[in-house]
Amino acid sequence: MSGKTVSRRLFLKGTGTLAGSSAFRLSMPGLLALSEAVCTARDAQAAFDVLSDGEARALDAIAARILPTTDTPGARDAGVIYFMDKALGSFMSDELESIRAGLSEFESGLAASFAELAEADQDAYLSTQDRSHFFNRVRFMTLAGFLGMTSHGGNRDQVGWKLLGFDGHRGAWQPPFGYYDAEYMREQQDDD
Amino acid sequence: MNSKMTTESPVTFPTREAVDFVIVGSGSAGGILAKKLSTAGFDVVVLEQGKYRKPEDFTHDEISVLYLDELQGGGPKIQQQTFRRDESAVATVSQWGNPAWYAQTVGGSSAHFSGNFWRCRESDFKERSLLGPISGTNFADWPISYEEIEPYYTRVDWEIGVSGAPGPFDSPRSKPFPVPPIPIKSSGVLLERGASKLGLHAQVEPLAILSQPHNGRAACINCGYCMDFGCEVGAKSSTLAAMIPLAEASGRCEIRAECAAFRIDTDANSRATEVLYYDPDGNEQSQKAKAVVVSANGAETARLLLNSASERHPDGLANSSGFVGRNLMFNSHSLALATFEHPLNEYKGVQVTRMVHDFYESDPSRGFYGGGGIDARSLFGATPIRFADIGLPPGTPRWGAAFKDTLESNFNHQLTITNSATSLAQDSNNITLDPTHKDAWGRPSIRVTYRDHADDLGMAEFLQDRAMEILDAAGTRQSWRFPISGQQGGAHLLGTCRMGNDPESSVVDKYHRTHDVPNLFLCDGSSLVTSGRGQPTMTIMALAFRAAEHISAAAKANNI
Repeated sequence: MSGKTVSRRLFLKGTGTLAGSSAFRLSMPGLLALSEAVCTARDAQAAFDVLSDGEARALDAIAARILPTTDTPGARDAGVIYFMDKALGSFMSDELESIRAGLSEFESGLAASFAELAEADQDAYLSTQDRSHFFNRVRFMTLAGFLGMTSHGGNRDQVGWKLLGFDGHRGAWQPPFGYYDAEYMREQQDDD
Repeated sequence: MNSKMTTESPVTFPTREAVDFVIVGSGSAGGILAKKLSTAGFDVVVLEQGKYRKPEDFTHDEISVLYLDELQGGGPKIQQQTFRRDESAVATVSQWGNPAWYAQTVGGSSAHFSGNFWRCRESDFKERSLLGPISGTNFADWPISYEEIEPYYTRVDWEIGVSGAPGPFDSPRSKPFPVPPIPIKSSGVLLERGASKLGLHAQVEPLAILSQPHNGRAACINCGYCMDFGCEVGAKSSTLAAMIPLAEASGRCEIRAECAAFRIDTDANSRATEVLYYDPDGNEQSQKAKAVVVSANGAETARLLLNSASERHPDGLANSSGFVGRNLMFNSHSLALATFEHPLNEYKGVQVTRMVHDFYESDPSRGFYGGGGIDARSLFGATPIRFADIGLPPGTPRWGAAFKDTLESNFNHQLTITNSATSLAQDSNNITLDPTHKDAWGRPSIRVTYRDHADDLGMAEFLQDRAMEILDAAGTRQSWRFPISGQQGGAHLLGTCRMGNDPESSVVDKYHRTHDVPNLFLCDGSSLVTSGRGQPTMTIMALAFRAAEHISAAAKANNI
């Protein structure tokens, strides 16, 4: 595989499996339209918009150490790399060259490419690089791709939100909301 | 005339014939003035530089709203606002966001605010007399009293829609709240619990959010996206929800969105004649008017006046005092965060349900001027990216398995105490025209110069200390402080065209008419003389109701 001809589907074979589209439970028409747009984007088999295969593998590997897959899903499971590609091809396009230059400098300190290193070696190297502007921007993209709305290309099946216990996009709630207000309501009723 | 309720402006006025009023800005003040003046029978054109978004256009998209500044006119890339600490420094474009933080959309910042609606107290309007002068500042009494503004606070309660219940320290109110409090959240319960143990008095947060249907509008569905986001059901009492539809239904109000004012022209008699603006295609237009009201916020109003300099008004329009742009006040702030044993699920419901106002009054025994309020809120609850980026306890690894574990364990167990307090009016904190940078329309950029007064920082720290004690008393598992550093921006844009009786030291009179230009009125956060304690919109809206009444009466008496 080389260059930009690699398809999303092929890339995924190297890193995980493509999960199906999730069911959305949304009450607002605007959000529903967005969720439909997302399903389309995720199933597309187009090449990455802006990242080369090598760039994608490296950024994916860094993201996977920022939010590793453990007994719970991590950046890779959320498809963070697709968010990064989409963001750097659109609303973060003015950062693309800076990210490219940062990645090149990041990898220049290594004999092999970062993605080929063992995880322990990746962590050891990353801990020497984690104050750089490049790292901070990759970290931000990782968080945004893990926890942003799925319409931006990441947070596949809302795995990021599920990890946090966040289902805020359902749209409407009735009290009690949490443990302490539920307790408070019971006390008030006992007082009455 | 078309008088039926519609979502499009039902009337279009020709630009070359003078309408009764042009209002610049459709936000907290502009939306109210548009409604009041149009329903009083005047023809009104509202110039709003933001888009005309409707409730159904608002989303919960954190990336678009928080990081792409969707509601803030596109943020630094578009606005090119600059910031510096002191006048000796060269201001630079801030990368983290606009220093003057406000929404560009019909409804203005009332569309994206959290809705905390504190009234000022009787003391706020006469603190200079009560406490004496503070050297190096422009600390002053207001030209109006609480008694004079109280009827208009009540109009805000009922016409805009405020939920709440009386608190132990409130100044007198002439009518009860129109709708009861929003349901309490776990953060409110814990604040109340901690405060009670310390002998403090937690009280219901008054909110510009409807707990029940009111004035034909729907009640809050507790979606969790008030702060920074627009309300998709219209339960948040923005002027977009509460006023603009009524203004348009009058058949006399045209909302001209995506029209960015850049200059007010005057004639030889120093009367405003027209407002020049860029239309949605970027072309220059101008709207003639018999009178002009600027309600563009404390940053934009000052910029527009300074950018309207002419031979007759060399320092900017209505600026014979030199006070246009001066005395910028953001309100000072501090934060304390905490985790608790059981889930709070703060992403559900409004931001704030309880507050503590025991430290509202300035107390000389503290050693500095100031007062403020303490509230418990979600802050990071509905915005998981911001939570993950900056919301975790100090010492948490910034990446790796331990970082991810903390995200998981803390998200639904955290709350934030937000302290809001006074800012002192100072010459050195101001809005000016940037000499080099321009915004996307070609207007000189807003340049913000700001350094918090030592007393402002002292009050912020004092409240943070009290917040930490409250969290301890509430049984926190872990609590921590956000470091207090000088603010590099603010959402409260106050004081930059202050009202006063003396034309030497104020820009508008007590009825919001500029001292220099008889048919030019300014009404927004810029009118405030002192900062209040940190939730200024209630007062801005009350001033707008009051201003509208006086402006309308003056126009009917042919006295403009």
